[in-house]
Amino acid sequence: MSFQITDIPRILPELMLLLLGLLVLGSDVLTRWGRGPEAQLERAKEAGQLTAVGLGLVFIVGLVQSRFLFIVPDPSGGPLDVLLTLGRNLQAGGPGGSPILGAFATDEFTMVARLTFIGAAFLTSLLAMGYRLTANPGEFYGLLIFSTLGMSIMAAATEFILAYLALELSSISLYVLAGYFRESERSPEAGLKYFLFGSLSSAIFLYGISLIYGFVASENQKAGGTPIVATLFAEVGRFATGDAASSPLLILGMLFIIAGLGYKISVVPFHTWAPDVYQGAPPPVTAFLSTASKAAGFLLLYRLLTTAFPGAVGTPRLEEFNGWTSVLAILALVTVIVGNLAALPQTNARRLLAYSSIGHAGFLLLAVLIWSSTSPVDRTFGTAALIYYLIVYTLTNLGSFGVLAVLTNALGSDDLSAMQGLWRRNMPLTLMMTILVLSLAGIPPLAGFWAKFFVFMAGYQAGAVPLVTIAVIMTVVSLYYYLRFLKAMWILPAPEDTPFKTPPVANAAIIASTALVVLLGLLPNLIWGTISSAASVAAR
Amino acid sequence: MNLIDLPANVPWLSLIWLSLVIPTVIIALMKPERKEEIRIIGAVFSFISLALTLLVYLAYDYRSPEKFQFLEEIPWLPELGINYILGVDGISLPMLLLNGIVIFTGALISWNIEDRAREYWALLLLLAAGVYGVFVSLDLFLLFIFYELAVLPMYLLIGIWGSTRKEYGAMKLTLYLMGGSAFIILGMVAVYFSGTLRTFDMRLLAQSALFPRDVQIIFFVPLFLGFAVLAGMFPFHTWSPTGHVAAPTAVSMLHAGVLMKLGAYGCMRVAMWIFPEGANYWLLPIAIATLINAVYGATIAMTQRDFKFMIGYSSVSHMGLTLMGLAAANTIGMTGAVLQMFAHGVMTALFFAVVGRMVYDRTHTRQFPELGGLFSVMPFAAIVFIIAGLSSMGMPGLAGFWAEFNIFMGMWQRFPLIAVLAGVSIPITAGYILIAVYRVFFGEMKNPEFRHLPGLTVQEYVAGVILVAVLIISGIYPAYLTEPIEASVQPIAEALARAGTLGMRFP
Repeated sequence: MSFQITDIPRILPELMLLLLGLLVLGSDVLTRWGRGPEAQLERAKEAGQLTAVGLGLVFIVGLVQSRFLFIVPDPSGGPLDVLLTLGRNLQAGGPGGSPILGAFATDEFTMVARLTFIGAAFLTSLLAMGYRLTANPGEFYGLLIFSTLGMSIMAAATEFILAYLALELSSISLYVLAGYFRESERSPEAGLKYFLFGSLSSAIFLYGISLIYGFVASENQKAGGTPIVATLFAEVGRFATGDAASSPLLILGMLFIIAGLGYKISVVPFHTWAPDVYQGAPPPVTAFLSTASKAAGFLLLYRLLTTAFPGAVGTPRLEEFNGWTSVLAILALVTVIVGNLAALPQTNARRLLAYSSIGHAGFLLLAVLIWSSTSPVDRTFGTAALIYYLIVYTLTNLGSFGVLAVLTNALGSDDLSAMQGLWRRNMPLTLMMTILVLSLAGIPPLAGFWAKFFVFMAGYQAGAVPLVTIAVIMTVVSLYYYLRFLKAMWILPAPEDTPFKTPPVANAAIIASTALVVLLGLLPNLIWGTISSAASVAAR
Repeated sequence: MNLIDLPANVPWLSLIWLSLVIPTVIIALMKPERKEEIRIIGAVFSFISLALTLLVYLAYDYRSPEKFQFLEEIPWLPELGINYILGVDGISLPMLLLNGIVIFTGALISWNIEDRAREYWALLLLLAAGVYGVFVSLDLFLLFIFYELAVLPMYLLIGIWGSTRKEYGAMKLTLYLMGGSAFIILGMVAVYFSGTLRTFDMRLLAQSALFPRDVQIIFFVPLFLGFAVLAGMFPFHTWSPTGHVAAPTAVSMLHAGVLMKLGAYGCMRVAMWIFPEGANYWLLPIAIATLINAVYGATIAMTQRDFKFMIGYSSVSHMGLTLMGLAAANTIGMTGAVLQMFAHGVMTALFFAVVGRMVYDRTHTRQFPELGGLFSVMPFAAIVFIIAGLSSMGMPGLAGFWAEFNIFMGMWQRFPLIAVLAGVSIPITAGYILIAVYRVFFGEMKNPEFRHLPGLTVQEYVAGVILVAVLIISGIYPAYLTEPIEASVQPIAEALARAGTLGMRFP
């Protein structure tokens, strides 16, 4: 196993992200900007545009490379040969092949994840451009890109050290971004809180890794001591079978790892940072934080558990502990209950959505439980449900936090009461927010409904019927607070009714996510096939 | 009827529900100031949808062994057995027709909505489109999607244009109904995984012996209860009077007239059809609940001071009779149930049109002590109300008679004791209807200003005449409804009979 030159195209999107980040940072720092507010505005605009265009480009490259849309034909002597050759070479690095150095998988799963993160970052950059951001824009956008890079690597990692580094790369960038508004009261608090919780969790994660490493190394000694890389997921999976799978060392390490990642995906009881950070961070950052970051955590957790601990799956039963699905079942149970109930009394829209997103993490865990079934068909279905949910959730929450960002910008507040009578002031925005909120609530025919239905199916098939029942009941509870948005926007009288405009770039991002939510709701098979193929790879 | 032939290559059923989605989109894109055009577009398209349902009704051949006709199948998410399958039989056809009648008359009744008319019309038509969709779906998943589409606009319709604790009523209604649909989701997942077919096509799911008995018994409960909440079954009925009272008139008409039927339809088409053994097991508790529904609903209606609350509780009582017909689980009882859905739908739409639009919008009160002597001011309203009231009492010659007659006969065959006890609801119904007629239209006029109330508009006359005509025609010639209904109910009743008499019995 060594690094081949042909492996470079396989990590091309990541390399491009790295270059783009440096470029954005560099072009901002190295240009001499004027002092006036106009020059600062110009500076922010330039950095934002560069980021958006760059991310769009990386997205296209990733999309072509993934072969999801089309397979480039062989060059046939026509005028387009240059393009075709380029495409062929790009797709040569497409899904497939064994992980690079055993540590970096470039399968369909990675491709889907990569596209999700880059797409989310692209939309976030649009939202950020519509928001008043002037101080150090290069840093802001650069960190956004680095964080995206970290997430892409997280989803691709099949080795503990790489996974840890990727986790840190994405998290540390986000700590800074969360505390980016230094002059505001809440933003630095959010950054600090996020940092403290995050660093504690990553310490726990790291400790879990070291225990696992110790387990694998000592098992390998017993087995004869051939030299291996003991931090590869696959090696852990090789040793953690049979009786060894119930070794206390392994179980403890696994629990630490779940706890460490639990903070990233904000499941109860590792969620306490989320409401404060979501409320305090700059709104576009919140949009990114609550979607891509969480999705990355889920995908890493999923790949890690399924490849490193297939021997300790267990069953998702609440009454006895026998593997990681039972741990996740308990986490899912408390998460759906606490997340949804705690959202009920909230009066701040962003805080409310923060609790709702905690609730969503609980629903998402249902999809992972199906791994307790040994049938590959079931496992594929569960994985597909997870990915579908993550994509839809990312789109929906990006859109709704985007709307809140616009509102904060225009009205100076993101309390629910500030949204009263919004239909009179900005009808298109109200309409889009309605669609997004209903999708979050899981109302058909929007995409959020399919997502929820799929995870319920997965949970049922995993045998966790009581858990699914509770989750279904919690969707009704959640409807109450989602309807409060509708009530504020449509029914309650407006405190004032001066219309306001949505910034065009932010509008584009919100329209795009709303349109996709509707489209994926009407035609779920647009991406279901692709996702299923990615899922069947991951479920193998 | 098979009176006319329709070209086979036209997607008639899709056209029916699309004929209300198209105007929704058009209206949503129009300028809000152009209210009159919006109303005309809405009314014209709802008339088109009514005409389409009528055509389909006339072209349906109930003697054919193919129960489901006008089939349309398009793959949607075939990997999971989810497809766009439409088709109608003798059960869904009267419901389609009912929805056409109620949305068209409801559109006429909505002419006086001035506040945010554009949003109102868009939501109203969307709601009715969802109802059409439920009645034509043969795929359980598709049915559920249309079902939610029909429920959700209610929240805004009541919350924005309602009266009397509208926000509370809207929230309560939505949460109850969504709670019901949560049960349905659970049942649907169970249906999908318990059978071996991995499909949502109800025609396949309804094959006998597909589901083991214990699965049927357990998962019949969420599936039935989920729909029964919408049908207003005791003890899950309290959302319904509150919601009806809070809702604007046309929404009350649609809601009591069609939406609650959607619940009863789901109980029969989904729960009882797919899980016949489960249904058989639970017949007795259901029958008892519906008995309470019918008698208790009527009694509460008698004690109301608010005119609209009285109608709301009378709906609960009548829906109880509908569900009782289903609980009879034989051809005659279920035929009566479907007929009752139709008859009650038309009748209650008429009630709400009179109470909400003709009386309340003019007098601005619905309290019995403040009303009185309105016959001399609005004789038309009084006469149509009395006709609807007679139908609701079960007067021969009107639609309600045939329905209740069949239901009681069916229940007599299944649980005679319950049929006898439920009979009590008939005199009570007669009581509250007559009291209401006396207090509102006759008696002494309490408020002299009522003499100068504005007269009825053309739209109100047209709506009233249409609804009364349907009631009378169905009373004189019920066969145009009962024959297709009976032909289609029979297979379900037979499946229930085949499932054996293993259910709970009186001790």
